[in-house]
Amino acid sequence: MPITCNGKGIGRLLGILWLAVYPVLADETVPPGPFTETECITCHTQRNPELIRQWREGPHSTASGVGCNSCHGDRHEDSVIEARKNRRCTGCHDGPASHSYATSKHGVINHLDKIRQDWRQPLRRGSDYRAPGCSYCHLHESDHGDTMASNRDPGARQWICSGCHGPRYVREQFANGQRQLDIADLKLTEGGTLIASAIDPKPGGLLKRYQDLTHHRQNVLLGIGHQSPDYQWWHGQAALDGDIIRIRDALFHGQDAANRITRSER
Amino acid sequence: MLHTSTTSAFVSRKVKNTVVKNTVVKSILLIPLVIVLLTVSAGFAYVHWSKGGTGAGLYSRHWSPDPVQGYWDPDNFYQSTEIVKGLFKAEQCIQCHEEITPGIVSDWRASRHARSEEPIYCNACHGNDHQQLRLPTPDECGRCHAKQHGEFRDEARHGFPSHVLAMERAVDTKHFADKPKAELQSCVQCHSVATKCDSCHTRHRFDAAEARRSEACITCHSGPPHPDGETYFASAHGKRYLAEGSDWDWSKPLTKGNYKVPTCAYCHMDGGRHQVAHKSLWKFGLREINPHTSQNRVLRENWIELCSDCHDEKQAGQWLTELDRERKSAWRKLYAAEDILKRLRGDNLLRPAAGERPPYPMDWLDSLWPRERIGFFEGQASAFYNVSAIERDYFEMWYFENLGAYKSAAHGNQAGVEAGHRKMAASLDRIKSKSDELRTLKKVRQKAKIKSDLPGAPWAKGAYTDYNREHN
Repeated sequence: MPITCNGKGIGRLLGILWLAVYPVLADETVPPGPFTETECITCHTQRNPELIRQWREGPHSTASGVGCNSCHGDRHEDSVIEARKNRRCTGCHDGPASHSYATSKHGVINHLDKIRQDWRQPLRRGSDYRAPGCSYCHLHESDHGDTMASNRDPGARQWICSGCHGPRYVREQFANGQRQLDIADLKLTEGGTLIASAIDPKPGGLLKRYQDLTHHRQNVLLGIGHQSPDYQWWHGQAALDGDIIRIRDALFHGQDAANRITRSER
Repeated sequence: MLHTSTTSAFVSRKVKNTVVKNTVVKSILLIPLVIVLLTVSAGFAYVHWSKGGTGAGLYSRHWSPDPVQGYWDPDNFYQSTEIVKGLFKAEQCIQCHEEITPGIVSDWRASRHARSEEPIYCNACHGNDHQQLRLPTPDECGRCHAKQHGEFRDEARHGFPSHVLAMERAVDTKHFADKPKAELQSCVQCHSVATKCDSCHTRHRFDAAEARRSEACITCHSGPPHPDGETYFASAHGKRYLAEGSDWDWSKPLTKGNYKVPTCAYCHMDGGRHQVAHKSLWKFGLREINPHTSQNRVLRENWIELCSDCHDEKQAGQWLTELDRERKSAWRKLYAAEDILKRLRGDNLLRPAAGERPPYPMDWLDSLWPRERIGFFEGQASAFYNVSAIERDYFEMWYFENLGAYKSAAHGNQAGVEAGHRKMAASLDRIKSKSDELRTLKKVRQKAKIKSDLPGAPWAKGAYTDYNREHN
């Protein structure tokens, strides 16, 4: 059929043209949206299968069910740039997780430099980002599975940090972090063992004390990961010291002790 | 003749007496003098000896540093890597590190060091022998930045708390010697403000504009005992800073008229003076002071002068008076709690008592005379981990709630003042009822005829407690 200048013909011509330039223009020709979660996944499974796999196996998908829209929004424009910014993460990761980062030197520099920062730059090792934001470390090189998760390759973590810090410095800091965490775990064990020895863990709030222990141990981890001395120490180790003192006190001087005495009287 | 001889005998006796008298006087003066001199020199010798161990400071013979401590205290502990051999020129450092650590090279390129007519290259601060690299100390920076370095060093004469004394005061505490050194790297990170300049001027941009921003201080000045960041940002000054600060020109010096509201540095390092302690009046709120001594009156005038960059002098004076009142009220509560604790100590009711606690290396003196330390002047700041629960309650009341209230009052955050005082009142109530509980429990024990209230030694054992004793 010859191409004539009617509406149908123009539509067909544009359709062919679109198909011809699609591979060249790629992203730009994608309609602006909004897209549903299924639409994102269907298209990107074809275009970035590795990325979708990382997400499916990573903590966002497996642990919390967080999908594309949560970080990228449901429109295409600026969806990648926006997802690189810290505020996309802190909406959910609030409290100690973001506070420990925000008060760290990385967090401070990142915050002060955010106006100068060119967020279009990919999250790769080099000089595009003066200090790492959440995404720089946790989604390095667009890794959608959390590069910093404990089950991931520690070598990758060291590689990212050593973009700015000397390799020995990075190695030593990680090793010290592990030692700090081991110490926090000893405190957790000491407190846990004491609580297990109670005749009744309810009086004196011993079960609540165990929650405190795990919470403060988590603060130590966040303090180490985000390099926040305050979370390593005051919200972490020093708080754990206080927990242990109070657990002992509840056992030997509190209601638990009184119960023991009453029982022995019987 | 006889007369002469009698006279001479008399004279000689007189001379002899005088000589004896003089000798006695001399020896009375001389012996204590010698004792004093010997004691003083023995004291100096002991201090000198005690600093000669594997650690640093007064207790250096009791500890060895964790491997990362060299990065926080380079002067005492940093050892250069020996992997790369050779002497390098400036361009060679950059060429290689552009590949290895591109972030710092780019940071340096953006710094005044790189952009000045005669650039300050890597080797100016680190040396050029890769097997003997230095991490720059304040003395190193002071070779060029003499004014700032001089001001920074001079801060020592104002005593502690101060930036310049931060590291030595940290390592000279009993709890630093006692606890595992790996754990305490969290402390020396902040206390390294005395041993490195990059706590405020982050490497390798070393930007004065960055250090003028309030966020530059919050990595250390936040959290329970020093919520400077939290209380400042909650104040009228801080709120305006947060709303507008990113649009201001931070290249301007910290002087009158340049900033709409003060930042941390505007008040504490006014005019860019590299000291934070020269106007320090309440000394961090750790102990009660008399704010009206002649010396403190001068400091008050300095504060009022600074506030009057923007505010009326009378109003500024009024704020200081309010701060005095807040402090007085805080110390009334704190002393009430200290009294309760001291009464419990007098009645031997603090458990574990000092003699029953796990012994640490620094406790050798305590083993001669075990005594629970209560309050600032007895050194309770060092006793927050190996103590009874009620002492720890007081430590938190004093260190967290009191200091939170103080910082709130000083930074003009009224809600924080009220919250701090509410918490202190609640803590005081808790300490009171805990004290009553301890007294009741004693009676119960007496009635049940239980002599030892601590079967075995439950305080001296445990996964961490055992590790701590062996790894300090």
